[in-house]
Amino acid sequence: MIRRGQAFRPFSDGGRRTIVAIFLTFALIGALSAALSLSATARSKNRATVLQVADRQRTLAERYVKEVLLAHAGLQADPASTASILASSAHALLDGGTAPSVNGDDDETTLPAAGGTVLRNQFEQESRLVSDMAANGEAVLSRRPASTLPATAHEHTGNLDPIQRLRVLAALTSNVSLNAGRTIARSTDQNVSRLITMQVGLGIGGLVISLLLAWALIATTRRQTAHFRSLAQSSHDLVVVLGAGGCRYVSRSVVALVGRTESELFGGGFEEFVHPDDREVLEGVMTHGGPPELSLRLRNASGEWRHLDARATDLRADRRLRGVVINARDATDRVRLEQELTAQARRDSFGSKLSEALEMADEEDAVFEVVERAMVETSQVTPMELLLSDSSRANLKRVSTSPGAAAPACPVKSPYSCVAVRRGSAVVFDSSEVLNACPKLRDRPGGPCSAVCVPVSFMGRSLGVLHTTGPDGAPPPAEQVARLTTLAAQTGARIGTVRAFERTQLQASTDGLTGLDNRRTLQKQLRGIIKDGDPFALAIADLDHFKQLNDAHGHETGDRALRLFAQVMQGVLRDNDLVARWGGEEFVIVLPQLDRFQAVIVLDRIRGNLAKAHPGETPRFTASFGVTDSTQGESLEQLMLTADGGLYAAKQAGRDRTTIGEPSTEPRSTTVIDDLESPTPPRRGRPYLHEAVDDEEPNPSGLEIR
Amino acid sequence: MGGSPQILLRKTLVVLATAPVVLLVAACGSTAPVKPANAAIAAVTEGDFAITAPTQLKAGNVVLRVHNNGPDEHELIVVRVRDPRLPLRADGFTVDEEAIQRSEPGSLVPGQPGSTRDLRINLKPGRYVLLCNMAGHYLGGMHSNLVVTQ
Repeated sequence: MIRRGQAFRPFSDGGRRTIVAIFLTFALIGALSAALSLSATARSKNRATVLQVADRQRTLAERYVKEVLLAHAGLQADPASTASILASSAHALLDGGTAPSVNGDDDETTLPAAGGTVLRNQFEQESRLVSDMAANGEAVLSRRPASTLPATAHEHTGNLDPIQRLRVLAALTSNVSLNAGRTIARSTDQNVSRLITMQVGLGIGGLVISLLLAWALIATTRRQTAHFRSLAQSSHDLVVVLGAGGCRYVSRSVVALVGRTESELFGGGFEEFVHPDDREVLEGVMTHGGPPELSLRLRNASGEWRHLDARATDLRADRRLRGVVINARDATDRVRLEQELTAQARRDSFGSKLSEALEMADEEDAVFEVVERAMVETSQVTPMELLLSDSSRANLKRVSTSPGAAAPACPVKSPYSCVAVRRGSAVVFDSSEVLNACPKLRDRPGGPCSAVCVPVSFMGRSLGVLHTTGPDGAPPPAEQVARLTTLAAQTGARIGTVRAFERTQLQASTDGLTGLDNRRTLQKQLRGIIKDGDPFALAIADLDHFKQLNDAHGHETGDRALRLFAQVMQGVLRDNDLVARWGGEEFVIVLPQLDRFQAVIVLDRIRGNLAKAHPGETPRFTASFGVTDSTQGESLEQLMLTADGGLYAAKQAGRDRTTIGEPSTEPRSTTVIDDLESPTPPRRGRPYLHEAVDDEEPNPSGLEIR
Repeated sequence: MGGSPQILLRKTLVVLATAPVVLLVAACGSTAPVKPANAAIAAVTEGDFAITAPTQLKAGNVVLRVHNNGPDEHELIVVRVRDPRLPLRADGFTVDEEAIQRSEPGSLVPGQPGSTRDLRINLKPGRYVLLCNMAGHYLGGMHSNLVVTQ
């Protein structure tokens, strides 16, 4: 358990209690002092009257003796009256009451009862002495012996004569009266001095109590102040008070942040550490006390801008502060993260838009166009270009340049002479003039420059480089470099994909050996021609004695013969003519807009060119052609059979010739498709036609033209 | 100084409450007689109107511890005499102090009722009278004879 005394309580209100205690002390002491004075005054009241009456007793005692002597001598006197006054006065002095007046002397006096043992004893003694004296006086006057008189006051006067005894008693009475007066005076003195002592004591006591309480109050306040100070100073929050004359208070955390002393920050000093763009807001806070929430940038000890989330509290009306209190917290990390996220989001949005655009570009040219538009989005003014290698990957070609700005015109020729391509990562050059800058940046028409080079690659294979230049010494910002990197990565991916796709397309539609269309492609194109109803001639070609050629010289020679034949055909045919390797050494030629007789001329030209060709290591060979045209049949199967018939006739007739096929009068079954496609030999027993069937992609409807 | 403000306050109040008492006690410092060394102490009681005192004492330094029983004030005069009857003044009821002055080894001025005072005197062998010579007190009975022996 924590003891109460040890708990940390900066907000305890002990100070208020101490102040109350001080006031109570003063009130108590004031009341005591007043009460003392009152009681002392009350005690001293009537003291003068008592003293006067007590003093009068002395005179009366003397007078009584004289009057007794006068009366004793037979003269006119009234000792009895004096004795009566003496007795009444003595009684009044002792117990209070009325002291009678003395004729011609004074008036009746009311007295309080005597207080204090000593005084009462003295007044009692006086009363006894007065009584003895009166008895003695009467005895003198009646001439009785004094020895029989009472001695109530313990006087030992038995052996004195009555008159002397009377005088002694009068003297004793007088004496005790005098001493009673002294006792009264003494007690008054004592009262006064006691009063003074008490008052002084009370004064000192009150002062001491108040001083101690005040000291306790100060100690408490100081402790509380220390608590608050340590609370305020150990806080990482930044506290600044701005008043009319500028900065009036800075917490220790501010001092630590900016690395200056307090006095350097007071007045206008603080503002110098605030970002110039934020000073206006700060001025507003000073003059208007708001806005309540603001963000400030403060330069720290190492010259870096720190972002602060600040809160302004307007305490200008508070006369103890007369300023605006700014509580701030360093939010730099958060702000940086936000900025990074924003940039990331912008990049991401750029990236996703770019990726969508590239997805729609299915050809290289379309890709280059997207790249140019993306360049504009990245920067309107920065020169940029995309250099891409052709399929041989040996030469770099400029395929895209930023439309708004001139091309940076990098003189690089080969991918492998580009440093960025070699490194495989983006390279940023601050200046073309430094030692370690790329040499290709020097001596550009625009003079010295900065540059960014981002390699473009696909699946680890370099395709080219995305290149941009900027002002010398001021390379493009990181965000732009990030965008360029995104652009380069996505362009590389897309170009790679497009190229792979084109290659696949080509592979699918052409014959790998000769580069001619394959059978399927021709069928597709021929179907289009038939659908349009355009006239055409159709021929089937076959190399003569190809099996012997293969057997004698090997397959490679056979392949070369096939390629040569294809080249010769392509050299003769028009652009819109179709030629396909049907399979093996058999080819199909479609000649749009020609009839079978015109076709023969073209085919004979092919044969002629083949004869003139220099096949190099390939032995000379010939080819036979069977031909027909679209007027000779109603379906492609019929036309193929007719052309095939022509070819058969040509072969029969001794080869190396062109023969027009005669349409068959036999009714054709629709199974001709199966004949063409199935591995089973057709009726005409022409196995070579069927050897050429493309088994890779069996397509039963390949010849379906209806 | 440790402790919370409350404890401090409480301590302070305790100190301050006792302070006036201490001050008063100090102010009323005792005046009780101290026993003197090498002196006999003789008790003398005065009162209205008699003196009670030893009738015989050894010669030498004596402290007469004089208590006034009251109610009146009383003085004490010690007179060495040949004749215990002392001469009176012309008024007929006070002792003629001038006549006995040369044989008066010591005296105390009138003291208040209830007080106790010491009279330090050197007594030589002889006859003495102790008396109070306030008006009428001697004749009223306030005298006592004393014989000092060797």
